[in-house]
Amino acid sequence: MTNELKNEKACYFCVNGIKEIDYKDINTIRRFTNTYKKILPRKRTGTCSWHQRKLATAIKHARVMALLPFTNK
Amino acid sequence: MYFKHVVPEKPELKVFSKNPGFFPFFKRKKENIWGFFNFNNFMAKNKKNEIPHYELLYIVSNKYTEDELKPIVLNVNKTIEENGGKITYKEDWGKKKLAYSIKHFNYGYYSLAEFDIEGGQVEKIDKELRMSSEILRHTIVVKIAKTAEEIKAEKTRAKVIVKKAIKEKRKEKEEPLKKEEPKTKVDLKDLDEKLDKILDTDDLL
Repeated sequence: MTNELKNEKACYFCVNGIKEIDYKDINTIRRFTNTYKKILPRKRTGTCSWHQRKLATAIKHARVMALLPFTNK
Repeated sequence: MYFKHVVPEKPELKVFSKNPGFFPFFKRKKENIWGFFNFNNFMAKNKKNEIPHYELLYIVSNKYTEDELKPIVLNVNKTIEENGGKITYKEDWGKKKLAYSIKHFNYGYYSLAEFDIEGGQVEKIDKELRMSSEILRHTIVVKIAKTAEEIKAEKTRAKVIVKKAIKEKRKEKEEPLKKEEPKTKVDLKDLDEKLDKILDTDDLL
């Protein structure tokens, strides 16, 4: 059986050696959100659990400052 | 709004099996047994007596023109300095579209300031910014000050990321350019002959 989710994906932040995720650079963060602007799960993107927690807070910070939308109208 | 945005350094795991020596238990006692739980490494950056480093981002509402914006920004900088802070970095992003409307404003002026200040004084700045009617929204975030080497390393990383992105884009462009098999052209003469043959026959119905 071939399952798309089971394909091995590397963590984007581990590969590029990013320690701190900045909430201000939207172009990298935006890729980890849905078309409905929801935060994507780890299954889908392949980020490690340590970075996923940082990424979730960064997206939430960006939403408060109106850099990213909460929902897609 | 005031969030804590601290990233404590990951303590490095010490691998004992690398060079255990003749009798490994002796070496283990000399080294740090709690390699993964070293209190000196854990939260080391906060426990120093250095003054913490903060970052402030705020949105000024769109009802002011760009000439009126300058005294507002100067006023914010003054409040930081009056409370004993040192501004290390300033940046104006200019007019930007908001992702959603805040108090019926669709545009706002973003500006950024980094400063060193003692921990207790941040709340005063936070309070003053919250009370002011000119500023729509603001965030103060704890930031670990970067050394010159780390900034250099980040720049090289950014270059590598951009190069990768360009390569992937090129690959995507090249793949659909594969030549499609040319369709076999049908001669008009052959078609005409076939049509005539069909039409000539009497038993069409």
